[in-house]
Amino acid sequence: MADGALSPGVNLEAFSQAIAAIQALRSSVTRVFDCLKDGMRNKETLEGREKGFVAAFQESLHSVSRDLGELERLSNLVGKPSESHPLHNSGLLSLDPVQDKTPLYSQLLQAYKWSNKLQYHAGLASGLLNQQSLKRSANQMGVSAKRRPKAQPTTLVLPPQYVDDVISRIDRMFPEMSIQLSRPNGTSAMLLVTLGKVLKVIVVMRSLFIDRTIVKGYNENVYTEDGKLDIWSKSNYQVFQKVTDHATTALLHYQLPQMPDVVVRSFMVSVLENTFFQPDLSVFAVTDIRQFCCSFNFPSSSKLETVILCVSYLDRGEELIPIPLG
Amino acid sequence: MGVTCVSQVPVAEGKSVQQTVELLARRLEALGADKQGTFGVDCETYHTAATLGTQGQTGKLMYVMHNSEYPLSCFALFENGPCLVADANFDTLMVKLKGFFQNAKANKIESRGTRYQYCDFLVKLGTVTMGPSARGPCPGACLGWGDCPCVIPNDCWNLLMEFMQSFMGSHTPGIPSVFGSKHDSTYSPGDTMVQYMELFNKIRKQQQVPVAGIR
Repeated sequence: MADGALSPGVNLEAFSQAIAAIQALRSSVTRVFDCLKDGMRNKETLEGREKGFVAAFQESLHSVSRDLGELERLSNLVGKPSESHPLHNSGLLSLDPVQDKTPLYSQLLQAYKWSNKLQYHAGLASGLLNQQSLKRSANQMGVSAKRRPKAQPTTLVLPPQYVDDVISRIDRMFPEMSIQLSRPNGTSAMLLVTLGKVLKVIVVMRSLFIDRTIVKGYNENVYTEDGKLDIWSKSNYQVFQKVTDHATTALLHYQLPQMPDVVVRSFMVSVLENTFFQPDLSVFAVTDIRQFCCSFNFPSSSKLETVILCVSYLDRGEELIPIPLG
Repeated sequence: MGVTCVSQVPVAEGKSVQQTVELLARRLEALGADKQGTFGVDCETYHTAATLGTQGQTGKLMYVMHNSEYPLSCFALFENGPCLVADANFDTLMVKLKGFFQNAKANKIESRGTRYQYCDFLVKLGTVTMGPSARGPCPGACLGWGDCPCVIPNDCWNLLMEFMQSFMGSHTPGIPSVFGSKHDSTYSPGDTMVQYMELFNKIRKQQQVPVAGIR
């Protein structure tokens, strides 16, 4: 028989013939039972009637067996359906997931609520952040690019000698504080400020503006394996991580784009002369571990307000909570 | 680790050493400290050999100690003398020096226990056991605690005291003698080992008094 199969395993021609053979078999089986139901025909003699009935019955049984044989032959020709397409497209219906086991709707709802909340919080945060502008450049906001002065602000282009002079003047202000200046990466200065035997501060500057600070313990290593100053790794101790946060707050708070040397001096002064450090620099000589107060008293001037941040080590192992007051 | 203070925990009335240690451990955990594994400090005693010493001079005792906080080091110290910080191979060197220093094996004493970390503080709570024989733990629990960032002992003694009081209550010890000798110089691990050695000697002396006298 001609093989009109679409896939190598299935013989479609034989398939349709096998279906026809099933129908033939069904009809011959029906004829058998019809024959039995009809009984003997009306003939002259009893023998005749019996013979006729037996002949008809045998005939119908033979046709049944013939059809069955034909069906078996055809079913052998049909072949096995291929494993990869058991039922072709209809087989994919069985992969449909049960609707109530996929929480599609509830997940969608949660995602929507979350994105709404995110938008709301972002709006609040932007409102709060815009109130305290941390822009440290001399240009005003909202001035279009055309009207912005073409010349670079003069405070950014300072001769390194001037920066060195300012730093050395500040160095001489306090006996317990020693400042070491180096320029490993171009013209920006890196200061290593050592405070007694308590801590070391690495200050990265951009001409006279303070860019970043990292506070580390006295016994911690401030150099990388190459011997250069390590300006990125944080301190291993939580206490100095907190002090780093406060120092960063201080350097962001002091903004006087026109007079950067005043800024640097006030930053150094605020780091030293607040009640965190006793005058003889005995750090951690606190009387009560419960009120470990670190307060930065910023000197008041026409532009700066006084901000006091209290870090309280609360009793019984609670989290360190910075509480801004005022 | 920075400044460390080692002290003996007084065993409460009617309680065993194990119970005292467990009580303190529970208090530390209630405070919020994290358990961070175990620690061990051990001490071996060596006598200077009789052949070496001049007449009339009693052999000096040398202590060789190990601390799990500094796993690659070995500390050798005399009673009132200097403390040597050496590589871990020092032990094999001592075997080679058998002619000059003899090991008093019965006097080996060690302290083992758990190590807790609370923010920048480190607390090590352990029991002291003595001798390789089945002598059982001698009544001693020891506590070592330290403030990691600080290196000047006098500055942070008050802070350490406050921290101790928060979970030891009224049993806080006095300032260790090593702190008095170091005025403003940096604290070193050798000072910790000196404190451990003094503690072990004290416990050893207590052990020699009859048992009824201790409780």
